[in-house]
Amino acid sequence: MTASMTIDDEEEPPLLVDVEGEGDPDSEEPPVVKVPITIVTGYLGAGKTTLLNYILKAQHGKKIAVILNEFGNSADIEKTLTVNTGGEQVQEWLEVGNGCICCSVKDQGVNAIESLMDKKGAFDYILLETTGLADPGNIAPLFWVDDGLGSTIYLDGIVTLIDAKNIIKSLDEPAQDTIPTEGHDEHEGHEGPLMTTAHLQISHADVIVLNKSDLVTQEELQAVRERVQAINGLAKIHVTQQGQVPNLEGFLLDLHAYENVESLDVAHKGHSHLDPSITTITIQVPVLEAEQLPALDEWLRSILWDSTLPSSDSTVANIQAESHEIHRLKARIPLSNGDVKIVQGVRDIFEIRDAPSGSSTSSEGKIVIIGKRLLGKSFKESLLSMIRR
Amino acid sequence: MTETPPAKRKCSGSDCDNDAGTLQCPTCLKLGMKESYFCSQDCFKKNWSTHKAAHKSQSSFLSNIFTPNVVSKPDPDTGTYNPFPTFPYTGALRPVYPLSERRVVPKLIPYPEYWKDGVPHSEMTFVGRTKIEILDEKKREGMRKVCRLAREVLDIAARAAVPGVTTDYIDEIVHKACVERDSYPSPLNYSNFPKSVCTSVNEVICHGIPDQRVLVDGDILNIDVTLYHGGFHGDLNETYYIGDKAKANPDAVRVVEAARESLDLAIKLVKPGGLFREYGNVIEKHAKSKKCSVIRTYCGHGINSMFHCSPSIPHYAKNKAVGAAKEGMCFTIEPMIALGTYRDKTWPDDWTSVTQDGKMTAQFEHTLLVTKDGVEVLTARLPDSPGGPIPMPSSEEKKPEVNGEATPQ
Repeated sequence: MTASMTIDDEEEPPLLVDVEGEGDPDSEEPPVVKVPITIVTGYLGAGKTTLLNYILKAQHGKKIAVILNEFGNSADIEKTLTVNTGGEQVQEWLEVGNGCICCSVKDQGVNAIESLMDKKGAFDYILLETTGLADPGNIAPLFWVDDGLGSTIYLDGIVTLIDAKNIIKSLDEPAQDTIPTEGHDEHEGHEGPLMTTAHLQISHADVIVLNKSDLVTQEELQAVRERVQAINGLAKIHVTQQGQVPNLEGFLLDLHAYENVESLDVAHKGHSHLDPSITTITIQVPVLEAEQLPALDEWLRSILWDSTLPSSDSTVANIQAESHEIHRLKARIPLSNGDVKIVQGVRDIFEIRDAPSGSSTSSEGKIVIIGKRLLGKSFKESLLSMIRR
Repeated sequence: MTETPPAKRKCSGSDCDNDAGTLQCPTCLKLGMKESYFCSQDCFKKNWSTHKAAHKSQSSFLSNIFTPNVVSKPDPDTGTYNPFPTFPYTGALRPVYPLSERRVVPKLIPYPEYWKDGVPHSEMTFVGRTKIEILDEKKREGMRKVCRLAREVLDIAARAAVPGVTTDYIDEIVHKACVERDSYPSPLNYSNFPKSVCTSVNEVICHGIPDQRVLVDGDILNIDVTLYHGGFHGDLNETYYIGDKAKANPDAVRVVEAARESLDLAIKLVKPGGLFREYGNVIEKHAKSKKCSVIRTYCGHGINSMFHCSPSIPHYAKNKAVGAAKEGMCFTIEPMIALGTYRDKTWPDDWTSVTQDGKMTAQFEHTLLVTKDGVEVLTARLPDSPGGPIPMPSSEEKKPEVNGEATPQ
């Protein structure tokens, strides 16, 4: 419908598609090549555009799509997208079908990207650049598509850029427009440390890029690092200048942050009180029996869906304390039969699945939770009493 | 997973003697040109400048990108035509245009918000998409009323669905029956849907637009009715056998009854505390036991003063749907079950959803109210409702089918 859908006369050949597995309609999962999508967040001025331009220039031979503008916040999305092929950048329109949102499971943005790839051949990577004030916790669930939907894209992870010079100020003295309103419970007479969008962008991140490090002293940089790790002890941190990074794979791309859960090493446990709003906590879990998994599932439903910590004496305890808000959860749970389960969660959505075979086993399980008002609550006791019932 | 070894094919590249594997040009695939295998991306790239000419020679190429200006000539006898003559249809069914004029709802009947601009504004707010409303007793009574009326309208439509009538005629019946009940037919102009009911024939999964297609003996037809009355929507659908040929077709009976039974099984799980993610597990399990698949793209939905709101109810297994049923919630379950692939494709009318292999699909839907200790099927069948389960045609197999199981409640 849009004028820019011109015929690809002079264009590069599309990628060949592998048609193996065709011809058997009953086969459950015809092989689909899945393209990773990385969400890139950060305040205005943190260097998102510079970083993305750097990636587009540095990645010759890869077909990278950069989707700009806000996404997932409004229903009327007809957005442009920049596709980089062999050093040349092309603008494309994302075509969005009719507005029937609720009877389709998949997000319209996901559909639009899929249909563009249908027409133009698959990309190697998709980078989604959000607006400065986007809450990645609202966007990630849209792209964390159920396997059953057979989507051709998958959520690879969230990368947050931070301006090392200004971040502490952004966290401590927020401007009014950086205080999120949608989906957070701040207007219930709660008086406490303010949570800003900068907090949300850090707490949901799988990778944090500390940019503009050349504009601060070593001491200042260390303070920023500690503050960031106190909020999110799981994310990998990279220090850069002008958005330049040595290796993209495994650093910004190919994160697989929503797939396997390996070691779960949390940085700087001692500093967890550094940020008053958001923290990372770790819960050690014993090796479980397979029969205890339903109890683990029930516990996760309670803390993630209802923001309620089940307590052994289920009377007053959890009513008095103000309820928590969990942004990200990861766990690795070994079972006594030798299997290992992993848990991935973002906001209220979670999934328990089998760890890939051949991954390491250990004598103890671990759950890491990032969120608001987690301290001073007995998550571990709550879980243990649940699974020992 | 499939284990079929690929047949020996030659690479389509000029001067290339290699065997081709399973790599095909995606553009050719789209155009339905089957035999363009290449040995590698490199070889494909070398041959691109000549190969792409093949795409041009395929006249349907342009029409895949641009909506065609040319339409097929109207049939001189009936004046009907196919509005998308070059679209690669997946099965035998074609749209039969022209559509009839938009039907009018008398002004005295309260309209839903989208009646004019087609936009369901309140469904698009943050609350509409995330919060699940708990209905008080007055609202529950409103839902009971509209759902009962919707059942009456569906039954009237089903009695009219016989070989020889058009789906547009079914639309007319539904529209009139709604108006007689002081109700607005909810689909009309919802996101610009042009008609008052969805009629989905054979390979159409859902959202079929009533047109001049004549029902024939052997079709299966889903009629999806929603009414807006007293400020609430009531939504249900059933699939019906058209004529005796359909009832004698073992495949048709298998897919229709699998869909009917899978809905009944899912409804049994609906009670306070029951998890939304579980319904899909029992639906998919049952579909598989009948060698059928579950359509993934479309799901059940919350329903009350909004036509579609949260929660979303996926019908496939292993989904991550958040939440549990609570007393006072209203939502639909509406599994779509296919004989072949679960993958769907949408016609250029932007509505009609069909299976990619053109094989039959069937669907059943109820609007449900979660009660203190279970569920009330607000759109339950009445003693004289047409349709209902039938046994497998006897020639096919002697195995007794589990049936005669009335809809719960």
